[in-house]
Amino acid sequence: MTIKVLDPRLSPEGEAARLAAPLASLDGALVGLLDNAKIGTARFYDHLEAMLRERFGVREVIRRRKPDSSRPAPADLLGELSAADAIVSGIGD
Amino acid sequence: MEPLQSHQYEVADAFEANELFQRNGWTDGLPIVPPTEPIVAHFLESAGLAPDAIVGIEPVRRRRIPAEKVAIAAVMAGCRPEYLPVVVATIKAMCEPEFGLHGVTASTGGSAPFVVVNGPVRLSLGMNATHNVLGNGSRPNATIGRALRLVILNVLGGIPGQLDRSTLGHPGKFTFCLAEDEEDSPWLPLATERGMPPGASAITVLAVESPHQVMNEWTHEPRDIAETYAAAIRANMLTYSIWAGNYAVVVPKQHRQIFAEAGWSKKDLRECVYERARVSRREWRTVGKSAVAPRKDEDAVYTALRSPDDLLVIAAGGPAGGFGAILPPWYGRKSLAVTKGIDA
Repeated sequence: MTIKVLDPRLSPEGEAARLAAPLASLDGALVGLLDNAKIGTARFYDHLEAMLRERFGVREVIRRRKPDSSRPAPADLLGELSAADAIVSGIGD
Repeated sequence: MEPLQSHQYEVADAFEANELFQRNGWTDGLPIVPPTEPIVAHFLESAGLAPDAIVGIEPVRRRRIPAEKVAIAAVMAGCRPEYLPVVVATIKAMCEPEFGLHGVTASTGGSAPFVVVNGPVRLSLGMNATHNVLGNGSRPNATIGRALRLVILNVLGGIPGQLDRSTLGHPGKFTFCLAEDEEDSPWLPLATERGMPPGASAITVLAVESPHQVMNEWTHEPRDIAETYAAAIRANMLTYSIWAGNYAVVVPKQHRQIFAEAGWSKKDLRECVYERARVSRREWRTVGKSAVAPRKDEDAVYTALRSPDDLLVIAAGGPAGGFGAILPPWYGRKSLAVTKGIDA
């Protein structure tokens, strides 16, 4: 005698929330940096931007800062980042 | 009743059902009661809920939370059917925009929904408001709180390391629910103070960090007791977050008696804590935060509460002992307490 149990999840198939495939190279790429609006992030991204340009040949960097660290990035801000080949989004401070 | 929509998995027995849920990350790590169709249907019927009734919509990702999935979580958590309306009312409250459910679920700050139950439902469910009230031992307290976590996990995708990015979290993330000791309190119940009709069954939910116990058994002065709570709140403002919001305090009988003898209402306690729970930015220098203290005026004074009304005063705890607790908010006013009536 077996029993049948119900799936507790809302969508058993899951949602399309996978990371995109990594770029083969950053050379000539356009990279977005999404700043989570915490105190230390801007300095960290200054350093990261310099590294990306000087060591990895990144062509251009788009930087956007969330208006509020505890709320999701607004859609228009994400739209501005959508031109990027890759995006860096961090958590914490 | 309409048929349930959830996919079904066939397993050998209850042991294997738990193994399946553990393997798939569908539980909090503790074993579950297998949610079978007849049991889940019985829960929904008892609460008068259609399986596809939408209990709430998470405001950011727009996840619609159907009653069927809430009932599955309640069964898994070990609830009895009559607990389901309390779980449903709390999910509704957590979906109000001011609760900020997405932020409190996802944040590195790692908070938990803390639920206070008021009104006759406390007695009909046999909830605990006295001994060990923030701890183990009461089935409704334990399983109602746990059901919320299982909804966050399985319905909202609040999976640790995925959407839930908590650095630490805290033990209240397993379950964090209590009843207020209305019968043995001189004070108005929390829900009544927050606008519910007297005698109504209601919940209040707040996203909190871990509770911090305070102790003062060495005075009969109400102001002294209030000072102890305020001091713990000031410490939290310096070591955790300086931002004002809904703090909660759990006040045990031994402290309540001191307040009652002096004629202090909850409002009097709130006003005292509002005045006393204040720090200046400069004090950040005493706790290793000198790097950020001078970013703004260091002599500016920050209050823990935006107004006295921000403090939730809860009468609960065992009859002996001068042990209370402060429960700090997740992140200032970014998540506020919500009170809702229970449809039972």
